[in-house]
Amino acid sequence: MKPFQLTRRALNAGAISIAAIAAVGGCAAALADQKVVKIGITLPFTGADAEDANLIKNGAMIAIDEANAAGGVAGYKVVPVIYDDGTATAGQYDPAQSATNIKKLVSDPQVVANVGPQMSGSGKAISPILSAADLATITPSSTNPDITDPKMAGQFRPNGKAVYFRTVTTDAYQGPNMANYYKAKLNVKTVYILDDSGAYGVGLANAFENQAKKIGINVLGHDQLDPKEADYTTVLTKIKALNPDAIYYGGVAQAGVKLAKQAAETVPNMIKGGGDGVAGGSFLKGGGFPAVEGWYGTNAGPHLTESPVAANFVKTFQEKYHTTPDDYSITAYDGAKVILAAVAEVAKSGKEMNRSNVRDAIEHSHVETLQGVVAFDGNGDILDRTVSVFQYRHDDKYPADDIVHQLKYLEAAPQS
Amino acid sequence: MSNWDVLLQQVINGVSLGAMYALLALGFTMVYGIIELINFAHFNVFMVGSFLAMWALEAMGFAGQSHVLYGLPLAGILVAAFMVAMLGSGILGVAIERFALRPLRGVPGTAPMITTIGMSYILYNIILLSAGADSKNFSNPMPNTAWNFGGVTLHLREVLLWAVSLLLMVALNYFVRRTKMGKAMQAMAQDQEAARMVGVDVDRVVIITFFLGSALAGAAGLIFGLYYNYTSYLIGYTAGLRAFTAAVLGGIGNIPGAMLGGVLIGLIESLGGQYIAVRWTDVIIFSLLVLVLVFRPTGLLGRVTPTKS
Repeated sequence: MKPFQLTRRALNAGAISIAAIAAVGGCAAALADQKVVKIGITLPFTGADAEDANLIKNGAMIAIDEANAAGGVAGYKVVPVIYDDGTATAGQYDPAQSATNIKKLVSDPQVVANVGPQMSGSGKAISPILSAADLATITPSSTNPDITDPKMAGQFRPNGKAVYFRTVTTDAYQGPNMANYYKAKLNVKTVYILDDSGAYGVGLANAFENQAKKIGINVLGHDQLDPKEADYTTVLTKIKALNPDAIYYGGVAQAGVKLAKQAAETVPNMIKGGGDGVAGGSFLKGGGFPAVEGWYGTNAGPHLTESPVAANFVKTFQEKYHTTPDDYSITAYDGAKVILAAVAEVAKSGKEMNRSNVRDAIEHSHVETLQGVVAFDGNGDILDRTVSVFQYRHDDKYPADDIVHQLKYLEAAPQS
Repeated sequence: MSNWDVLLQQVINGVSLGAMYALLALGFTMVYGIIELINFAHFNVFMVGSFLAMWALEAMGFAGQSHVLYGLPLAGILVAAFMVAMLGSGILGVAIERFALRPLRGVPGTAPMITTIGMSYILYNIILLSAGADSKNFSNPMPNTAWNFGGVTLHLREVLLWAVSLLLMVALNYFVRRTKMGKAMQAMAQDQEAARMVGVDVDRVVIITFFLGSALAGAAGLIFGLYYNYTSYLIGYTAGLRAFTAAVLGGIGNIPGAMLGGVLIGLIESLGGQYIAVRWTDVIIFSLLVLVLVFRPTGLLGRVTPTKS
């Protein structure tokens, strides 16, 4: 009899606590009746790209915080929903995790748009899911052109409408413009190309290679690096024997850091460069001086952190996060601004606040941002196609991992 | 660079890689020789060893590659770093044996092996969570000294890597063949029951084996950092898998076999990369492994254990 009573009492207690929880839940639901829109932020916070991912997230967060501080957007409080695209197993961004994150966002009807992904490999995985849900994302940094290519719409946006918007241009310009720069400014006649086997790296390296061949640079070889491999001295010895004028590396920091360190020893005087995968804090911090000295990198957009227009943003960023933003912090800020403007637009038009209407508004954006007016073509690509060239030059006056002062802006690359 | 220079340079690269794989392979092969267990935790004992060494160097005031030493001070710092890496990893290996594997000793089937995989993941995640996931700029006090012979470059760090590996392997060989404890290890490898009967303290032998194997992995971890100026929580996997392959290739349980296997794998990696393509490295290595195992199932040098009753 006694055990039964105990159980009975436990059951009663359980029932009371369930009721209590339900009551609290009810309160929460009541609070949520205040008008809220949610914006996803999906970036790889775990792994080799974490440094850059945080700079991007913080850029977007400043836009959201500013909006909330000003009383929200058209009466809506903006709530960020942040998911990690990276996994420990991959050691960097993981496309499968990105897809899971987007599915989670899609299942929440209050999510009206997303900022991200950082990486094109994730972009390829999530674009079809976004298309099915009619949910727009704005990427501040992923540059693989396939995702927005109308020829590949069947694969990446089966529903037809553009869902993958960018506040940077694509590798269809980033790679070729850098090839132009190699020839016109660095007088490169022979080049060896490497990529890191990722969607972004392969695409960028191939775009560079095509343009290099077109403008008469002799491509001596193109090899793929395994980003989990530690040793690249084999391929570097091979390159040393061929003695090209320059190396071009398409890829992100995980392989790039090791490549830079070993190349500094094997081929110290060769011209070395890459895309936006090497023009960032992860590459600088992992590689360090002297390894990264002299490396060229690009950004798939105009250079902004030193422009007077962005001075206030940079100041706010430093005060808030005690670190300096990079250009993709600004494209992320701009991307979030575009989303907030679209939310305001939908509210003003009196249409229902849902992801479809927000997507429509984003597609027809004409928003004044730090990089100028952002507007998209019918595929989601930004109309501005500037590619900026940078070079690592050690400056003793600043900390060795201060990306803003160690990565010098040179000029915009010649466009084809 | 002439064709011969390229070949010679790739041989230098390959032997350097191979020496590192060999140090790691010894740990696999020693433990297998004694208790017939494939210890996958070894992958990440190596990784932890490289972090311990990096932290030790940081604690001694080195950051990145900016502060360079020469001569005796360099030797002193390196000896200290090797002590920390080897002692730390050795103790870690013993702890894994004591707390995770000893309770399972005698359990048939794959349970102990699966436990080592679990331990491997635990170490991996401890470092991931405590040190972060970004690539670490390894603190390295070694100067970037190099000698050129025609088109071939030999770096000081390569000479150090070879010297340390050779020294450790010779010392290990001496220990196993000449000392009483080494002979007890050999006896246990041959027949555990009989060794116990003649008074060999089995637990002690197992502890010493784990300590030595793990200490060699710690040394390999430090050498890895000095050689590449880099470490990360990810380094255990590729290097560990290659080293494991080296141990199997040479004949698992066989100490000279592990050394031979390591150097062979290193050479295949560098020469295959030069004359075929870097992206085929793993395909070449593992195809060769399959071939060797088909024609010599006990590996190149075979297992040295005599028949068991």
